[in-house]
Amino acid sequence: MNCTRLAQVLDAYLDSELDRATGEEIAQHLAHCPACTGLRSGRDALKQRLRSQAPYFVAPAALGPAVHRSLTAALDGTARRMRRPSWVQAGALATVAAVVSALAGYWLAQPLPDATLREQVVASHVAALNDVRKLTAITSVDQHVVKPWFQGKIDFAPVVRDLSAEGYALVGARLDHVANRQAVAVVYRVRNHFINLFIWRAAADAPEALAVSSVRGFGVATWAGGGLRFGAASDIDTRELEHFARLVQAQQS
Amino acid sequence: MRDAATLIRFEATVLIHLDAAYNLARWLTHDELGAQDALQDACLRAFRFFDSLHGPSPKAWFMAVVRNACMDWLKNQNRRTPEDESDDAHGALAAAHASGAPKTPDSAAARAAEARWVRESIAALPREYREVVVLRELEELSYKEISAIVDVPIGTVMSRLARGRDLLQQKLLGSRTRMKS
Repeated sequence: MNCTRLAQVLDAYLDSELDRATGEEIAQHLAHCPACTGLRSGRDALKQRLRSQAPYFVAPAALGPAVHRSLTAALDGTARRMRRPSWVQAGALATVAAVVSALAGYWLAQPLPDATLREQVVASHVAALNDVRKLTAITSVDQHVVKPWFQGKIDFAPVVRDLSAEGYALVGARLDHVANRQAVAVVYRVRNHFINLFIWRAAADAPEALAVSSVRGFGVATWAGGGLRFGAASDIDTRELEHFARLVQAQQS
Repeated sequence: MRDAATLIRFEATVLIHLDAAYNLARWLTHDELGAQDALQDACLRAFRFFDSLHGPSPKAWFMAVVRNACMDWLKNQNRRTPEDESDDAHGALAAAHASGAPKTPDSAAARAAEARWVRESIAALPREYREVVVLRELEELSYKEISAIVDVPIGTVMSRLARGRDLLQQKLLGSRTRMKS
């Protein structure tokens, strides 16, 4: 690997589009070549700038329904019948709900293994995104509005920081649950992605180092400190989620 | 056959990417209503050819249809008004140049000005660079998906992306980029 070749493939490297062997060659070259490291930092700075400042145009609210109407009109003139759930389906659903709540009671009594915890953080994240209107109970980009909102609702004082200078815009917050424990969820937005940052009371006071992993395509970061547990979930790149988690960690101390 | 069940499937696999499609359409057409028209058109086309969905992902397939609809819209625009599609962006950029690129973001106004400068710099990129930059930096699509959307080989995606980033970097960071090889 020489400098000319590196300049040709640097973008593909930074975009994780190269095979591992080539990637390692590049990493080795970068480790001892100041000129190429300079190229790399230029790209990093550009990425950071685009990430925090390039506008993302969200479709106007009326466009989705308008498209739906024109597609419905384009249907083959078949009568569209609404299906109603049958009594059998309703019964089955009730049975499932009963089993789930019985299991939940059992789970509550157990300490949560890490894998389950991560899974639960993702489950809460997905459930929250299911209905974007309920994503935040208080919607504000101002941390001085979001934080006081928790007063009287929960028995701990979560840290809420605006991180928009780093590209993570504060959207708002709500009360939620992670694995049946009451948690606050602080919502951030980066480009077109949401990050749910869940905070809840830790069972033990022991701090826990940051762990980042991937669950069903979602990134999850978990850690604990100061008597609180933290779990962040999003569909952004896990490296980026780790960056976010470290920013949040830094703000707590 | 297009029935209600197909429509539900279509909405769940394709229309969930409406925001991404709109974002691309806005960057390609530079026009709010134009983007909406192109999208309406693209959705009808995509629905009609839903059975032939192929390529690396449903999103990439839909984005390719959207891109084609935008190209058609631009062609129609050019027929109506003989101006170049990027005239608008050039004008805006010249204005931004006159006011100078903002320095340190010490206030909301300065931050807004910085963001406008970023937007205008992307808007001023020639289309073939602008689209790959938007698809990669804002949509985070893979080279394979971008190659399917833009309909060029992956190697071309790679070189256009590198060139587009070079141009942006010069404009936004004033830094020298790579040596010409």
